[in-house]
Amino acid sequence: MLTYIVRRLLIGLLTLWLITFLVYGLIRNMPGDPTVAAKGGEDPSRKQDVARYEKLKEFYGLDKPWYVAYWIWLGHTLHGDLGYSDFQHSNVTEAIGGRVGPTLWLSVTSLVLAYLLSVPLGLYSAARSGRLDERVLATLLYMLYSLPSFVAALWLQTFFALKMQGTVFELPLFGMTSDGFGSLSFWGKTIDLSRHLVLPVFCFTYAALAYETRFIKANLHEVLRQDYIRTAKSKGVGPMRILWRHAFRNTLIPFVTSVGLTLPSLLSGAVILEAIFSWPGMGRLLFESITARDYPIIMGLTLLFSVLTLLSQLLADLLYSVVDPRISYS
Amino acid sequence: MIPEPLPEPNPPLAHGAKGPLAEQGPRAEKSAGYWRETWRRFRRGKVAVLALLFVLLLFAVALFAPAIAGTKPIICKYKGSIYFPALGYFNEDWENPIFKKSPFRGIFPKGLKKDPDSWALWPLVYQDPSRRIKAKEFGDQPENQTGDLGAPNRYNWFGTNTEGIDVFAQMVHGTRISLLIGFVATGIAAAIGIPLGAVAGYFGGWIDAIISRIIEVVLCIPTLVLILALIAVLEKPNIWHVMAVIGFTSWPQIARLARAEFLKLRESEFVASARALGVGRLRIMFRHILPNALAPVLVPITFGISSAILIESGLSVLGIVTSPDMPSWGALLNEGRNSFQTMWWMIVFPGLAIFLSVLAYNLIGEGLQEATDPRLREAGK
Repeated sequence: MLTYIVRRLLIGLLTLWLITFLVYGLIRNMPGDPTVAAKGGEDPSRKQDVARYEKLKEFYGLDKPWYVAYWIWLGHTLHGDLGYSDFQHSNVTEAIGGRVGPTLWLSVTSLVLAYLLSVPLGLYSAARSGRLDERVLATLLYMLYSLPSFVAALWLQTFFALKMQGTVFELPLFGMTSDGFGSLSFWGKTIDLSRHLVLPVFCFTYAALAYETRFIKANLHEVLRQDYIRTAKSKGVGPMRILWRHAFRNTLIPFVTSVGLTLPSLLSGAVILEAIFSWPGMGRLLFESITARDYPIIMGLTLLFSVLTLLSQLLADLLYSVVDPRISYS
Repeated sequence: MIPEPLPEPNPPLAHGAKGPLAEQGPRAEKSAGYWRETWRRFRRGKVAVLALLFVLLLFAVALFAPAIAGTKPIICKYKGSIYFPALGYFNEDWENPIFKKSPFRGIFPKGLKKDPDSWALWPLVYQDPSRRIKAKEFGDQPENQTGDLGAPNRYNWFGTNTEGIDVFAQMVHGTRISLLIGFVATGIAAAIGIPLGAVAGYFGGWIDAIISRIIEVVLCIPTLVLILALIAVLEKPNIWHVMAVIGFTSWPQIARLARAEFLKLRESEFVASARALGVGRLRIMFRHILPNALAPVLVPITFGISSAILIESGLSVLGIVTSPDMPSWGALLNEGRNSFQTMWWMIVFPGLAIFLSVLAYNLIGEGLQEATDPRLREAGK
């Protein structure tokens, strides 16, 4: 077991090195660089003196070829220093840390909602498999699953802007907080934040809900065909008890691993949805940084996402052996 | 464990009654090729067939777009010669240069009036995807409205945009882009993914280890970083570049499945016998294994088409990709995003088009999966 984990971690480190090296090369070869924005362009108030420009160039390692600058970045990173972002006016760790909260608000809320709803829906679909109501539900879920979330987001925004303005159901369409959020009381803040959460959380949730429900139902179908289910049935166990205690428990293996694999997406956010809702999360930070050629932030985010992805894959594989004693890695 | 199906409502007795003949049917068909067998199973899914018909309809719309919405006659007679000006929508060089000069200057009804013997067969809807229709240009069709006033009406079925250009015409002509994105991007992805997966699965060992690592690396890099970086390197991206970039970033899924199929099939008996006959490696891989692996590999390819369309429209909604002359559905959505408070038609119709095509490709992929996956196949019986 230990050898397996060590081997996986070593391979993971190699993969990480390859990813960061590739991404560093890619972004350094994009036309334009972070100092272009610093040089000022058309905005005279942002004009910088030559000395500062040279300093920035050195700061970003632009005076060296990218494959040399990469090793400098790697050295700093290994010392725990991800660099400083001239655009966010803060350390990379702080800049990223500031966006974690808003993204988690969206992703955790919608993930919890999706699982809370998809487990009963999946059980219901499996229990009433083939009946009319199940078919209608399945069709509806499939449509939702195929509806791109940014299309849904734009439809909802349009609907709320045109039809709901001035009614009780009026909801804010952009941002995370209203103006003057700081002066609100605790309850005022809670209400304001939740009102801003409704539309984005809905768009985040419905696709995951549709996917998970279909996933749970498919797994239940497989398990319900097993011999021990027939045994339980012939023993006289009630249908609800079979579904919940005998069948659903045995679908937990793929379920747990699927939860494990969604963990990185909790932090990565959704670039397009965050852009549509002007949500100050990680996805938007990534998008802003790419357009601004903010190398330190892009590298920091890439590193974070890749570490999370690789760790969650390892975690999912390890969970397999925890949940299912038949699987062992020794 | 006995692989017995769930208790069926029809006991085997009823089956046995029409036994011999019914048994004969499938047995005789068994000689049918793998592909025909897959098609036969695919056809059983009514929804998947419906989705396939929808995609064929999209192809028809893309092909006949100039005949559905346009301002150039499909066929016309002018000063004794026959012309097909509508072809100019596909390629500007296919339109006779005389129509660019006076008395036409691109406006056909006015120019054709100069010749009393002329006649023309007009497109179904007289609207242009790249310019605003003026008053009295075509019979007594009124001028296109602009901005908030351009709600859907008799002449502009899906409304008009801020400049007064017809949205229906733009969407009909945008179908071509949607299909091209889906098929060209996924074609590129398949052209990279299948050979890589095939080599990895067939040879195994260190070759497999290297290719698997590459697949993992590409899957791990945030797609947006990869796509934006590649697009930025191109400086002035056009729609073809976008297709290529989407293709170059979406092959790992296909490669993974191709690898799994080749890994499985290389142990099969027909490969062993081919090897015993002295057939070369390449020939075994591409003549013997590939035809048998292709149907399962088609599943991620079909899902790849829908994700390519999603990526392109997502990038367009973010305003990263712009194609000024021929807007894609996603670009229309982006245009509508800036004015959705009033111009709902710019959001509803292009969004619906993207949704329906993604749904159709997903349904086809699902149908293929059911037709090719032996486990699901048993369950379906």
